[in-house]
Amino acid sequence: MSRAIYWISLSAGFLFLVLPLLVVLPLAFNDSSFLNYPMEGFTWRWFGVVFHQPPWMAALMNSLKVASGAMVAGVLIGGLAAVGTMLAGRWGRLVLSALFISPIVIPSVVLGVAMAYAFGRMGVSGGYLPLVLAHAILGAPLVFLSVMTSLRGLDPELERAAASMGASRWHRFRTVTLPLAAPGFLTGALFAFITSFDEVVVALFLASPQSQTLPIALFSSLRDRLEPPIVVVALLLSLVSCLFIVVLNRLQKRSNGRR
Amino acid sequence: MSGTRHNLAAKATLLILPLVMYAALYLLPLISIGSLSVDNGELSDRFSRLSAHFGTDAPVDDAAAVALLADLQGMDSRDRAEAGRMFNQEKQGFRSLLIDTGKAAGDIPPTLDGLTAFDPRWGEPSWWEVLERNVEPVTWRHVQKATGIKPDGQGGFGIAPGDDIYLRILVRTFVIAGQVTLLTLLLGYPLAYAVANGTPRVRAVVLMAVLLSFWTSILVRTTAWVVLLQTNGLLNGLLIRLGIIAEPLQLIFNRFGTVVAMTHVLLPFAILPMMNVMRTIPAAQTDASRSLGAGPVETFLRVYFPQTLRGAAVGGGTVFILALGFYVTPALTGGPGDQMLSYYIADFVKKGLNWGMASVLSLMLLASVILMLLIGLLVRRLAGWRRQGV
Repeated sequence: MSRAIYWISLSAGFLFLVLPLLVVLPLAFNDSSFLNYPMEGFTWRWFGVVFHQPPWMAALMNSLKVASGAMVAGVLIGGLAAVGTMLAGRWGRLVLSALFISPIVIPSVVLGVAMAYAFGRMGVSGGYLPLVLAHAILGAPLVFLSVMTSLRGLDPELERAAASMGASRWHRFRTVTLPLAAPGFLTGALFAFITSFDEVVVALFLASPQSQTLPIALFSSLRDRLEPPIVVVALLLSLVSCLFIVVLNRLQKRSNGRR
Repeated sequence: MSGTRHNLAAKATLLILPLVMYAALYLLPLISIGSLSVDNGELSDRFSRLSAHFGTDAPVDDAAAVALLADLQGMDSRDRAEAGRMFNQEKQGFRSLLIDTGKAAGDIPPTLDGLTAFDPRWGEPSWWEVLERNVEPVTWRHVQKATGIKPDGQGGFGIAPGDDIYLRILVRTFVIAGQVTLLTLLLGYPLAYAVANGTPRVRAVVLMAVLLSFWTSILVRTTAWVVLLQTNGLLNGLLIRLGIIAEPLQLIFNRFGTVVAMTHVLLPFAILPMMNVMRTIPAAQTDASRSLGAGPVETFLRVYFPQTLRGAAVGGGTVFILALGFYVTPALTGGPGDQMLSYYIADFVKKGLNWGMASVLSLMLLASVILMLLIGLLVRRLAGWRRQGV
């Protein structure tokens, strides 16, 4: 009886979780302009459309540029924030952490409105800069968290050993702690990149017609008309996510193995 | 001694860049929507003379007429149209009245009678009241429009019927977030349980599915639901082929589509915290309960379930707070009656560049989120979960 409840509820939840994408994504190869089953044959045609017709490729390039810029800026901001916070006292650490993590809980529409207005006032508008800066702020908390986690997980004995050999606090930090925290920076960079690459709401407020990103292109064509290229783009974005998980997994295994 | 100073200097230098960036790119924008919500610079600058006139509590007299005509003459036709558009949000017909009066401003005798002769509406106090209220540097009209709370003319405040549209949207936002939270907890609980207690293979498969879902973008997963739920889409096709329905059901652009898609998108956020808590519950407890004679159901309800509530609270709270600010999924799967507060915020910016209304509604949303966070902290403290490190 309880086994039955377990298996039924587990299957229901599991199917709800995985079926939508499993059923919809194969339609990228369907030789029909209707997004429906049964499939009418296998084709790469829609991939050709995505690779050769606007707006997809231009949007992909924009996304890659914005995400790379946001990653660099996010790692710089979030990484320095984490290292600085780690060196602060107990209360300073608490206040600074709250500040540096807080963008996570602000609804993206609110951030979008606020940034669109303020950036416009500061004269930061058009091109990639507003998007890069906004996405850097969205990515920085994730970098901050992952660097903090790796700094905290370090063996305190290492620090003590360095101290016993006469290294100053700052010198210890630079030569012992920081290099060991490198995986935290890498994971954070990955988080920052994928956050920007997938972000749509803030981008909708800040992108100029020339800097439309891939998620924006997907969002507007979803509102416009449902066509197979949409599913192709969804499939490509899912593959990027899979790749991301694989890399993340490798990184975590490596840093665990080193400890 | 010099070492300490060196430390402090290093610390300060490290934090300069992040703090400056956060202040300029994050805190300043957030503060600016606070001031924008009551800012009336666009009107008070254009009507500087009239603003100064009413600023001294002067009545509507010939001097007011002089000030109004001078202000209008100082504007070009685009300025007048823009100002008129803003007044029109308060009172229909104001745009044309301002444009017409502005065009003829040079020929109208600068008295109240002269204005009234040009257009009889200038003889009615109601039009002047709108002007008087809206040329001051600080305005409450956005706040009043968002909350519906206005002076009722008898010295008090009240909500006129039909004025509570944004309050109702706020309630709708909370209702949808609540429905989604409940569904994610119900569907997510067995999945989290399986990851914590299943056989190794079940654990691996379910965990992989949850993580894949977690890292696939919200937009991609919403896309899948849009394709599935179309009128001639996959789900309707399947139901018709199975003979369950004869005509396609309306599954999208209504509350059903919104709640189902949002539940799917937010499900991993409910599962992960529950899973983490369930993993810490030792299997020996269940074994002990069983060996003492309790059945599987009683063991689950009395030994296992109460310990998982803290995970459900964290997961449910996360989902609720995220759901409050949702925009993309309801915009793509909901109808006009299912849009949440975020939609209207975006709408005010996109359609009318009405930053004032967008700011007030943003503050409403932000306040709701912060309120829920505080409630979450309070619950955590009251339930004593803090000691257990969650």
